[in-house]
Amino acid sequence: MKIFAPWFLFVVLIYVVQSSLLPTIGFNGVSADLMLLLTVSFSFLRGAKLGAMMGFLAGLLSDLATGTFFGIGIFSKMLIGFFCGMFSKRVFKEQMLLPLISVLISTAAQDLMTLIFIFLLGYRPNIFYHLHQLLLPTLFFNTVFALPVHYLVSKMCEWLRAKK
Amino acid sequence: MGKIKRDRDSARTIWILVGVAVTVFCIVFFSARGRFAAPISSEAVITILAPFQRAASWLGDCVQNVTANVWDILTVHEQNKMLRNEVEQLRAQNVKAEEYAAENVRLRELLDYKNLATQFDLVVARVIGRESSTWTRMIVVDRGTQHGVKKNMPVVTARGLVGVVVDAGPISSKVELILDPRSSAGALDQRSRVAGLVKGNPDDAMVPKLVDVPRNDDITEGDIIVTSGFGGIYPKGIIIGKVRLVKNDSGGLLQYALIEPAVDFRRLEDVSIIVNSREAPPEPLPKRNNGLGAGAPNNKSGGAK
Repeated sequence: MKIFAPWFLFVVLIYVVQSSLLPTIGFNGVSADLMLLLTVSFSFLRGAKLGAMMGFLAGLLSDLATGTFFGIGIFSKMLIGFFCGMFSKRVFKEQMLLPLISVLISTAAQDLMTLIFIFLLGYRPNIFYHLHQLLLPTLFFNTVFALPVHYLVSKMCEWLRAKK
Repeated sequence: MGKIKRDRDSARTIWILVGVAVTVFCIVFFSARGRFAAPISSEAVITILAPFQRAASWLGDCVQNVTANVWDILTVHEQNKMLRNEVEQLRAQNVKAEEYAAENVRLRELLDYKNLATQFDLVVARVIGRESSTWTRMIVVDRGTQHGVKKNMPVVTARGLVGVVVDAGPISSKVELILDPRSSAGALDQRSRVAGLVKGNPDDAMVPKLVDVPRNDDITEGDIIVTSGFGGIYPKGIIIGKVRLVKNDSGGLLQYALIEPAVDFRRLEDVSIIVNSREAPPEPLPKRNNGLGAGAPNNKSGGAK
């Protein structure tokens, strides 16, 4: 509980920033997905199991707060958290390029999963529009915010480890 | 032993993950079709998050205001230059618009006149020049023989008589105004039907005279003077102006009247040339005006033709 509460507050804080501050600098209503960045960074630092849990928590908060199809965020972020955590064993965690590359791949993966769900639910979105107007800006913003979020998450991990 | 335990843990984690993923996968479809509601309602989450979001939003607004102000200050010089340019452009546009509006009024008047004066075929012309030394007496218009304009065609505006074409070039014509001392036009007092000649006044170029009126004829201030149609140049009934003052001639037998022209010759910009008139000119007046009236031999334009 001592570990969970700070992380929960941290996730809420990040979500508040994402939903209230980032839209002011967004492009066509699209801005960075800090929940995804948090999941990716946390997974690389803490492993697959905790990464999947963080993905679950971040996705749950997003799904409940934004009111889209419930579960899509949980599903995608949980899987991304798990797989990023799996890869964390095979890479050198301190290098700065890691969050950038993983964020690009994770953003595309999450978008692909969302699209698949939307198709399975019977909707037919315009793929070109989706790529051009939604995915590209998201990739840009996520890349910009990847390092700051990674820094914050790693500092949080260090702080909690020291506290422990 | 430790490795086996780790492998078991890993396998169990994966199975749990698969189970959760499948469950969530199903939840997505059930919730999309309204068959599943999250145990924690969305409203509750939003309510909990709202104060934080409001605070963050306020902070964001503050930051945005500050950055906007800073940006405004940084770009104020450039904005000032742009605004000055815009003001200049708008001023120029405004002048042009006023010009168009004035032109519109003038052309509308001419159009109305054209619609009213159905007995005339009119060619609308723009005043493109005035004789600089005697600008009140002669003008140049931008219509000539190519447009059907010929010598001795009357020129009017919606307000009244302007003059007559004295020289028609291919694309422009010279118009002698009724103010010119050399011009004369057969005229009638609209009320009393007294006939006379309207001639340019060398003493006051803006006030032509109605001359050759016998002293005992009825003519008073305020009477409207119109063309009589005698002489065949000016059609009958075009307003020339109104009587401002009646005076006795020095000879003792005649009187004359100073006419205030209906047309404002100082602001003459568009005129109409009567290229065809369907109304036949009336018969000359009886002998009373013989030698003095419209058919007098000393008339250059109004009488002799």
